[in-house]
Amino acid sequence: MQQEEKSIQVATLLSDCADRFKLRLLTSESTLGSRIINAEISRPGLILAGFSKRFAWDRTQVIGETEVVYMESLDSATLERYLDKMCAFEIPCIFVSKGLDAPQALLDAAERHGRPVLGTRLGTQDFTRRFSAFLETNFAPRQYLHGSLADVYGVGLLYIGPSGIGKSECVLDLVERGHRLVCDDVVHITRENNETLVGMANEGLGHHMEIRGLGIIDVFRLFGIRAVRKRKRIEVVVELVNWEDSGDIDRTGLDDRTTEILGVTLPLVQVPLVPGKNITVISEVIATNHLLKLKGHHSAREFNRSLLEQMKQVDYIDEVSE
Amino acid sequence: MRTEVVILNKLGLHARPAALLVQATSKFKSEIYLKKNDMEVNAKSILGVMMLAAECGATLAVSVAGEDAEDAVKTVVELFESKFGEDQEE
Repeated sequence: MQQEEKSIQVATLLSDCADRFKLRLLTSESTLGSRIINAEISRPGLILAGFSKRFAWDRTQVIGETEVVYMESLDSATLERYLDKMCAFEIPCIFVSKGLDAPQALLDAAERHGRPVLGTRLGTQDFTRRFSAFLETNFAPRQYLHGSLADVYGVGLLYIGPSGIGKSECVLDLVERGHRLVCDDVVHITRENNETLVGMANEGLGHHMEIRGLGIIDVFRLFGIRAVRKRKRIEVVVELVNWEDSGDIDRTGLDDRTTEILGVTLPLVQVPLVPGKNITVISEVIATNHLLKLKGHHSAREFNRSLLEQMKQVDYIDEVSE
Repeated sequence: MRTEVVILNKLGLHARPAALLVQATSKFKSEIYLKKNDMEVNAKSILGVMMLAAECGATLAVSVAGEDAEDAVKTVVELFESKFGEDQEE
């Protein structure tokens, strides 16, 4: 499924996060339509000395004390020229940190070109760190996936497979046995720190699920707070497949299969199903087996290793008897 | 195959039309997806379809892949055009 394209309008940022980042608008409201289009933050650097090559204009710019002191050291005509050059670029947003007084020349140039300037009372490093984390979260790659996500013994199992194969029924059964539902049918997946996938429900969906024959049910109301959780790291993908299509499914478990979601590789377990087959216990074992593997114990390989060992000994006895 | 449909019934894609849609799409082998803005859902999942919160006038992108795609698209389009049998009394 397709990934979302994201951007943050500065107006929204100001109305939602003014307290969090201690923000104040320094230019007029007409500049608020500008949009932040990526998660990068930059200090303007050499553009303030009139050098515009390689200026990362598409990033959020943060101006700290060094820049302000430097700007004050320039004569007003030069400063105005440089700032005009800078603001001619389509900069999404300029922040002046530490509650510093932004030079009037900066505000004038920004206003002329329609670039928003926001003051923050946070220190430069503090602001950069916090704002960067905020942007990372907002611009993290995400997608919707048709499936169900449950927490089984603390392991996030993502069920995928064709409609009607029994993903929801499986998760309902797990909930009944004390495991927890994250969400059913439409899983909103976000990639965090480039390597972790986190799944959650959309606000509208909550902890509802559809069980054929019953219709839509609310798992939170039916089973209570212990039966649900809001978000969960996805650790194993469980693909439910029709029994007839299960010909080439691995019978030994020696080779760990994997699949990829949003560029992250995850272990994949394929479970063949006949209608009505209960895979709750299988799910629990998938989770515990995953935990064992994390601890370094691979049951299938251990078993095969001892088998090979045993056969070696037989060879040895044969040799002795000859 | 891709096409677009517009929600014509007044109440939008609420539970009943969603159920009709899901019933209809589930009969096909093809993968059928509906997309509104940046959200794409499986048209065979009633919760998915309802989560689109597609109001009257909204446009949905339909994408269908599979052996019976042509019939599936036709059925989906007809269902939307029929307003899911709602707004009949006027």
